[in-house]
Amino acid sequence: MNFAKIDCHSVMKHICESLDEGLNSEKCKEIKKHLDECEGCQNYFDSVEKTIEFYKQYEIKLPEECHKKLMVYLNLED
Amino acid sequence: MQESILIEKGKNGDRKALSELVKLHENTVYNFAFKICRDKDKAENTMQETFLSMLKSLHTFDGNSKLSTWLYRIVVNHCLMLARKSGNNEFVEPENEDELYDNKYFSDSRMLPDKIAENNELRVILDKSISKLSPEYRAVFLLRDVEELSTEETAKVTGLSVPAVKSRLHRARAFLRNEISEALKK
Ligand SMILES: [Zn+2]
Repeated sequence: MNFAKIDCHSVMKHICESLDEGLNSEKCKEIKKHLDECEGCQNYFDSVEKTIEFYKQYEIKLPEECHKKLMVYLNLED
Repeated sequence: MQESILIEKGKNGDRKALSELVKLHENTVYNFAFKICRDKDKAENTMQETFLSMLKSLHTFDGNSKLSTWLYRIVVNHCLMLARKSGNNEFVEPENEDELYDNKYFSDSRMLPDKIAENNELRVILDKSISKLSPEYRAVFLLRDVEELSTEETAKVTGLSVPAVKSRLHRARAFLRNEISEALKK
């Protein structure tokens, strides 16, 4: 079984390296196979994606006061 | 009005065009500055300096890159300068991959929450985790994964080579993922 061929350590590393390319390349087949069967690695994959998603969701609002101060600072107020 | 027209007008000193350009980008600049500094006062200061710098050197802007990319670079440089000035040497440069991908991290079966909305505990953890990272790593992670610039654009903004961007990105992902998972366990 392929499962034994590849260890979780290399899967974890691979996940972090290839999130942007997706897991579609030829060399990823074994990784995918492992990922399908290993809950630990699935959770890891999920948590790396969520980590990125958290930082994306974390936005703050520019306070009106800051905007006004900026325009004054730049001498661009109406 | 199209941004390129605003830029041309701005170069000729048109105040209304300059003001429009600032309004178009102030939210992005403020948020990005906050994401790197994790501090609202520093983010405001960085935003002011970034736009001041834009006004001073808009005439050198050649339009080969996007104006937003140009602004990102000013923000990154300013934040790196602030970090250097702060004299904080405690930042982590996650270079030890054996440690980053330690087996203890995959046995972790706890699922992370789905959303951060209204979750203040998680926001504090996100702030703390990324604040530990050295600003260079932070910048790469934020530009590439959060602001979704391409690897090449990220390299341009940070002045790093493409391979250096990639390796920092992977390590930053693993580092942040580990920090957050560990913090949520407690
Ligand atoms: Zn595994």
